[in-house]
Amino acid sequence: MAFQRACALADVAGDEALAVTMGAFDVAVARHADEVFAVENICSHAAVALSEGEVDDCTVECWLHGSRFDLRTGKPTGLPATEPIATFPVDVRDGDVYVDTETTLNGVVPQ
Amino acid sequence: MTLTESVRDALETTRVESHLNPPASYDLGDHPVPTGREETWRFTPLKRLRGILDGEPSDASLTWETTLPEGITMPVISAEEAARSGELPPNDRPAALAAVLSGGCQVIDIPAEFSSDEPILVRLHGDDADALVWGQLLVRVGNHARATLVVEHTGSARYSALTTVVVGDGADLTMVSIQDWDDDAVHLGRDAIRVGRDAAVKHAALTFGGNLVRMHANVEYAGPGGSAELLGLYFADAGQHIEHRLFADHNAPRTRSNVNYKGALQGERAHTVWVGNVLIRQVAEGIETFEENRNLVLTDGCQADSIPNLEIETGEIAGAGHASATGRFDDEQLFYLRSRGIDEKEARRLVVHGFFNDLIRKVGVPAIEDRLVTIVEAELSKNVSGKVL
Repeated sequence: MAFQRACALADVAGDEALAVTMGAFDVAVARHADEVFAVENICSHAAVALSEGEVDDCTVECWLHGSRFDLRTGKPTGLPATEPIATFPVDVRDGDVYVDTETTLNGVVPQ
Repeated sequence: MTLTESVRDALETTRVESHLNPPASYDLGDHPVPTGREETWRFTPLKRLRGILDGEPSDASLTWETTLPEGITMPVISAEEAARSGELPPNDRPAALAAVLSGGCQVIDIPAEFSSDEPILVRLHGDDADALVWGQLLVRVGNHARATLVVEHTGSARYSALTTVVVGDGADLTMVSIQDWDDDAVHLGRDAIRVGRDAAVKHAALTFGGNLVRMHANVEYAGPGGSAELLGLYFADAGQHIEHRLFADHNAPRTRSNVNYKGALQGERAHTVWVGNVLIRQVAEGIETFEENRNLVLTDGCQADSIPNLEIETGEIAGAGHASATGRFDDEQLFYLRSRGIDEKEARRLVVHGFFNDLIRKVGVPAIEDRLVTIVEAELSKNVSGKVL
């Protein structure tokens, strides 16, 4: 497990995800209440950055066609996306968000 | 109805632009950096272009190895001279960048009345996946010439090329472009063909290798009676993106175009895109066009996008149609073969072999036929990870 600092917790708004590029991966960091999540920042349907959509009820919405992805599981909650997106382990230490892009929580290989 | 109205209805007084193919232009300002949301770019994973669209100057080149029949010459001219001598302007940003940055245009001159069964072979090879190469090629085919041109791409590079083929009146040209790159190559290519009066052109794009290959094949006509056959064959493996965009601009009467592309996909995230478009202008009466795309999806996890389009400005035509189908193996064909004692793996191979062989025959260049069959067989013999459909 190699956690790397992604951003400050204060940078993550409650209603939209923050785009962070970590090595070869584009990650969207989002929060739901006190929990922080990191998912692959690309919709599995039409390759749109999810950080451009809104976060609500522990899901992030792809603004282009309206599919929402569960931040916990990466699974889409509705069409047109059918494939899950990768979710990454997150650690919050001293007000900073650390993400491990080497492993995914849900076994999905990032695009 | 006044006379002016009737004239306006019969002729294209102001140029009609295709809805899908933006007007060609050398001006980079007409080709802004795409965001990925544009209709013409929405399928292409821009990140995997590895910076080609930034348009950095580069003097890297591919190695050229040519076999020329007697009478063929290959001068190099400046980009300005190419533009003056009939080059068809670029249709998208990478092609426009190639025109600006190539540093010179390679010409292949096929003289008038030339006639040979021996193909002109051009082998282009790249050694470095990070090398950025801008290419510019102009093929001039003289009146009533008959020739075959094969351009083959191997190795690896980040390659963007602008290719124009100007075919003289009554000429007969077969042009084959083979993309057999290594797994890390990126290739953006624009082939545009201007078909002379009563000339016949066959263009075949055969794409097997490369991380990302995006090819345009455009055709337009210099006079009535021209005929174009655009063929394609592609085989996408896991992680490959292969995109073919076709545009037949029927700008002269009694012209003909026939497009037939066939592809197979296997492995996780194998992605193919085929977008065909035909514009039948008001002046193009009595034309005939048909475009067809077939995709065979061999495993789970692949994506084949296929979009045929037609833009019609006159109804006075002989025929216009298109067809597209994407599917998996036909169980009945497999069942038939297995009932004859052929095991399942061999049965699958035979079905794909038959699917492609039909097209390889249509390409009709004996000198490369064996090689094509070998490439297809090699693709077929690759072990497919992931679930077989």
